[in-house]
Amino acid sequence: MTAGGFHLLRGMPLSLRVPLIAAALMVLVGIVASQQVLSTLSTVQEARLRELARLHVDGLTVALGPSVLRRDVWEVYDTLDRAATGQAGQRMVLTVVSDDTGKVIAASDPLRAPMDSDLSPLTEGAQPIDAIRLSGATDHIRVVADLAYQGRSVGSIVSELDVADLVAERWWAGLYLLAGNTLVTMALAFGGYLAMRRMLQPVARLAGHMGRMEGTLQPIPETDVPKGDTELAKLFQTYNAMSGAVQAKAEAERRLADRERFVSLGRLSSSLAHEINNPLGGLLNATDTIRTYADRPEVVRESAALLDRGLRHLRDVARATLEQNRMDRSGDRLRPEDFDDLRLLFEPEIARQNQLLNWDVEAHTAVLQVHPAALVRQIVLNLLLNAAAAAGSGGTVSLWVRRVPTGLDLRVTDTGPGLSDAARQRLMSDDPVQPGGGVGLRLVRDLAQQAGGRVAYTRLTQTTEIAVFLPAQERPC
Amino acid sequence: MIGAACAAPAILRAEVPIRLGLTPVFLDNDAEVISRLRLALGQGTGRPIDLVQRRTYQEVTGLLLEGSVDAAWLCGFPFLQHEESLALLGVPIWRRAPLYQSYLIVHADDPAQGLEDLERGTHAFSDPDSNSGWLVTVSDIVRMGARPDTFFDRTLFAYGHRNVARSVAGGLTRSGSIDGYVWEALAQVEPALTARTRVISRSEPLGFPPFVTRRDHVATEAVQSLRRALFNLADSVEGKAALRLLQLDGIEAGEPALFDGIRARMQDLENR
Repeated sequence: MTAGGFHLLRGMPLSLRVPLIAAALMVLVGIVASQQVLSTLSTVQEARLRELARLHVDGLTVALGPSVLRRDVWEVYDTLDRAATGQAGQRMVLTVVSDDTGKVIAASDPLRAPMDSDLSPLTEGAQPIDAIRLSGATDHIRVVADLAYQGRSVGSIVSELDVADLVAERWWAGLYLLAGNTLVTMALAFGGYLAMRRMLQPVARLAGHMGRMEGTLQPIPETDVPKGDTELAKLFQTYNAMSGAVQAKAEAERRLADRERFVSLGRLSSSLAHEINNPLGGLLNATDTIRTYADRPEVVRESAALLDRGLRHLRDVARATLEQNRMDRSGDRLRPEDFDDLRLLFEPEIARQNQLLNWDVEAHTAVLQVHPAALVRQIVLNLLLNAAAAAGSGGTVSLWVRRVPTGLDLRVTDTGPGLSDAARQRLMSDDPVQPGGGVGLRLVRDLAQQAGGRVAYTRLTQTTEIAVFLPAQERPC
Repeated sequence: MIGAACAAPAILRAEVPIRLGLTPVFLDNDAEVISRLRLALGQGTGRPIDLVQRRTYQEVTGLLLEGSVDAAWLCGFPFLQHEESLALLGVPIWRRAPLYQSYLIVHADDPAQGLEDLERGTHAFSDPDSNSGWLVTVSDIVRMGARPDTFFDRTLFAYGHRNVARSVAGGLTRSGSIDGYVWEALAQVEPALTARTRVISRSEPLGFPPFVTRRDHVATEAVQSLRRALFNLADSVEGKAALRLLQLDGIEAGEPALFDGIRARMQDLENR
């Protein structure tokens, strides 16, 4: 089979490929069997011819020996002529007897082999009796044999055999075999195709079911599962168990992701509490000032302005927190304000740890809105929290966001010691998460993959950089 | 009559058979002809007939001369060769005369028109003691002034006139010398064979191959009985049947002068 044919076969459905292979094998078997039959027929025919020629020559040798020795032309001719006349079927169309010098004594057809002519033209292509072979489509073959009398060679016998009937018999046998094998092979191949198709029907059903699931594994109804304890029934049951496990895993991951959102907020709660608590002292002082100096309008206005700024800040913090909690349920697109929210939520943590924050976001609304807000916010917040934790007290955390031709490039850098092996495994591989570690970095990886993006980790001399590339999307994911 | 017919075989078995030698001067390969002839002569003689066949004229002549057979159907040539020892018993009548001819035949496709056209060819004779199957052609060659031993490139003896026809028809030899009576009889019973030959020359009428016996046996009862049976063949049903198969009209007493033509050819050969 050529590479193209092999490729074509590989592209076929299993339910067609297997019967076709079976049919091809049957054709092969048919050809080999036919060849064997024809070979056997040929062997039988050759054996028959050898026996016939041997009997013919032996009979003539006995009858002709003395005549050949005497070179009695008439006796030799008379014997050959009567042998030819009395022969059934006229297998021997010509028999020529020569003396030991190769001169023709007589032939059954003297017109073809006149007496005293040279025998050699008739021995060209003649086969010894023991080596008679039927080859090609020739209707006549010649055999040559020694004519021995009283233990010595006194001449030669050349006989021409009419094998047209044997050639025809072989031709017809070949034709019948071809026709018969073709019919039988076609019937068997068709039967094999039906049988294979029936046997493979459950597999096709399973493949069809898997093809319809569109990213979600759906269990096959019990009514469609083959009956009995067959391999296919086990396959179906395994598939159903697998689909259940996949669904359970997906549900678990969804819940984990939800929880992670609260976890990240939880990690900010202390900082956010300070963020709320710190202005509260100033606000309470302002209210005392207003009560104390109620008659001094300029002091009241100044205190009211102070109250207004403090309350607006508290409102922004509360809104950012609420927004972070709400985001995954919305189809909102990313805006520059989302990065402002993140900064608002994250800066208290920076302040708490006495860290330096470099915030470098250069992206316009048009660039950002092709990305889902919730996903990007979760990724950035997780990376920032991870960087703040790694950088430690007095460290530096940087966020760098740029538009690249095919998407958005997010890079979070810290001056920490770099990711541990376990943390790097969570970020860079799909291996199961080891107990004891957080799932924030794994969530970053999962979310990036969900958006069709990729994550890169680079450890420089003093800093650690985690880069996330998110491709631009036309519609919400 | 029925009783006589039933009793005859028992009588025939009891008698000493009359032995008649046969040569291929007729279709001696036809089993029915042999059987009919034996039956007719048996009825005619009232004795069993033992027909003795040999391959050559010489063998039969030898049997006759040594007394192993009582009589023989021989050719005129061996009869004349041993005329001092042999006596005529009867001569068959063919086409209303005790005469026949020697034919010179070639293959039907051969363009030869006469003996002179056959020089350097291959030729089949019947028997070296046959008049029609050897003597006539050889004496003709002598009369042409040629040498019989070199006229033909190759000759063979087929020992039987029918064999001569087979030799020429099958192409083994280009030409052949054959008994005209046998050729004509063959033309009736095996026309496919004679159709492959063509007569290019006929000899003058010569004495038909006769039934002969030893001179010292002429008076024996067996020979006399056989002579009567031969002469009376046409009078019995079996005899008529035998004559019909032999395509002969009957058998009559002949004179040695019938064979003068053969004698002349013998002399031509001796005088060459």
